Amino acid sequence: MSAAVTEPPASLAEDSPRGIDWSLVLRQITGIMRLELRRNLFSRRAFALYFLAFSPLPFFMLWAIMARREITYHEFDIEGPAQAVAGPFTFTFVLYVGSMLFLSALITFMSLYRTEILERSLHYYYLTPVRRWVLVVGKYCSALIASCTVFAVATAALFFLTCIPWGFGEMNRYLFSGPGLGNLVAYLGIAVLGCVGYGAVFLLVGLFFRNAIAPAALIWGWEAINFLLPPLLQKISVIHYLKALFPIPPSETFVAVITNPTSPWISVPGLLIFTALVLAFAGWRARHMEISYGGE
Amino acid sequence: MAVEEKNAIVFDNVSKFYGEVLGINRVTLTFEPGITGLVGPNGSGKTTLMNLMTGLLHPTQGEIRVLGESPDHPERLFSRLGYCTQFDSFPAGMNGYQFIYSFLRVHGFTASEAKKLSWQALERVGLEGAAKRRVAGYSKGMRQRVRLAQAISHGPRVLVLDEPLNGLDPMARAEVIEVFQALAEAGCHLIISSHILHEVDMISDRVVLLSSGYVVAEGEIGGVRSETMEEHPIQVLIRCDKPSLVASRLFEQDHVVEATLHDDHGGLEVRTRDADRFYTLLGEVVLAEEVKIETVTVADADVRAVYEYLIGNEGEGR
Repeated sequence: MSAAVTEPPASLAEDSPRGIDWSLVLRQITGIMRLELRRNLFSRRAFALYFLAFSPLPFFMLWAIMARREITYHEFDIEGPAQAVAGPFTFTFVLYVGSMLFLSALITFMSLYRTEILERSLHYYYLTPVRRWVLVVGKYCSALIASCTVFAVATAALFFLTCIPWGFGEMNRYLFSGPGLGNLVAYLGIAVLGCVGYGAVFLLVGLFFRNAIAPAALIWGWEAINFLLPPLLQKISVIHYLKALFPIPPSETFVAVITNPTSPWISVPGLLIFTALVLAFAGWRARHMEISYGGE
Repeated sequence: MAVEEKNAIVFDNVSKFYGEVLGINRVTLTFEPGITGLVGPNGSGKTTLMNLMTGLLHPTQGEIRVLGESPDHPERLFSRLGYCTQFDSFPAGMNGYQFIYSFLRVHGFTASEAKKLSWQALERVGLEGAAKRRVAGYSKGMRQRVRLAQAISHGPRVLVLDEPLNGLDPMARAEVIEVFQALAEAGCHLIISSHILHEVDMISDRVVLLSSGYVVAEGEIGGVRSETMEEHPIQVLIRCDKPSLVASRLFEQDHVVEATLHDDHGGLEVRTRDADRFYTLLGEVVLAEEVKIETVTVADADVRAVYEYLIGNEGEGR
């Protein structure tokens, strides 16, 4: 053991100007993401993310095998994949976003603070020279990268499994000579924006609630009845913005469009603004949070 | 702001309530560089005081300044402050090196700086050999040391340590105390809570005694002891060849309240309310009566005695 006193390197200037040093903030966010990405992708917590994202995969594989056996020669045209995407895929994807992605965001983003409070390790972050909003952003970004990556891969896999019964040739024609690629990008966009929106909401919920069940049920109910709400209240939800992005409008699901859907040019920035407001509130909450772990 | 305040930790009329439960009440304190021991029974407010100092808790009223900064600004405070808490928990799946390195990266250090600082900190607490082992497999003493390493890794000027000697074997304790003393000599503030009173006594320049959320006494041990002398006269043990004579001469003075001869007639125990006058008188008696003194020992001028006198039964069992 050495009793010598050492000075820290100069990269963290103690008497730095009072303004925000953005290069330092970027390094801090990178440092937070290094820690959090490992947890979000390779820990027990990640199991829920993988399970929920890929849980429809076996059913789609089964469906693909059965569909392949039933398809006749005459059905080998571009309409086959297009109809499958418009029908079973869109219907399932709506449910997928409303259940699997919703639940995954609930577990992943709510855990960002809750798990660390339960494990009594959040104070290590709170004892670093990091602004609380920087911590919120770092944790959010890491969970977002993990969720978006996994759900984008899963969405693409489900999409290809929907098209594959008609063979690679038809699938290629549908993708590159038809609306397929545009549709795929739209569904990927919905998955990513779903993670963005629900992620911010559940990060905030995790900063307020110990038990996830009640707030999760409330939010799920709010999202489900969104189309019944007055136009102003509809804007305070994630599904309101997502439903405008569906390339093929789902008509018989809980995102049924009763009012006129918002244009994607409004809904995407709308969702991003909604997310930014939720994150700003989360940052405020994180700043005023106390770490006592008592009664957890 | 006064220059002194920029080099001190200041509590100005700080209270903290947990709902209706009192944490600390109307605490006004100034911590100067050196080692300050926080002493008090369970629930006396030691950890609350430390958590307030480090911004983990927010005061219900009053103001706190750490080297001139508010704990509400972590970006300014924690490059200069390290806190080794009592929470014996760690982020899952990490080894000792990763634990320190990862949080140095969160501080904003570059990879090479973080690596260098991590190894320096591990070396200082004698854990470099176990650095690549999982923290979950560490003994209690090793976990304590790795948390200490994490707290000192960024070279803080203020080090807050909640029961830092818990779980350490005597050898490790001595080594860790050596680290504390080196940091104090380098001008750092060390705020140490401990229930091992003789060690607090040994390492602290000052003590703060807390009881039920109130500061009962603060200052250098000698000063605190002097303040209690009227109610609790100081106890001095003298081994000499003429105890009866010394006892009779000393007992003539009004500040000497008790003098008891030892059973072996080789010494006596004296209780006095004025230590300065007592020592002057003892010197005169020794010279006048040609008394051969073997030892003179103050039996109750340490933290333990002060603790017992001021806090008493509340701290029993500690």
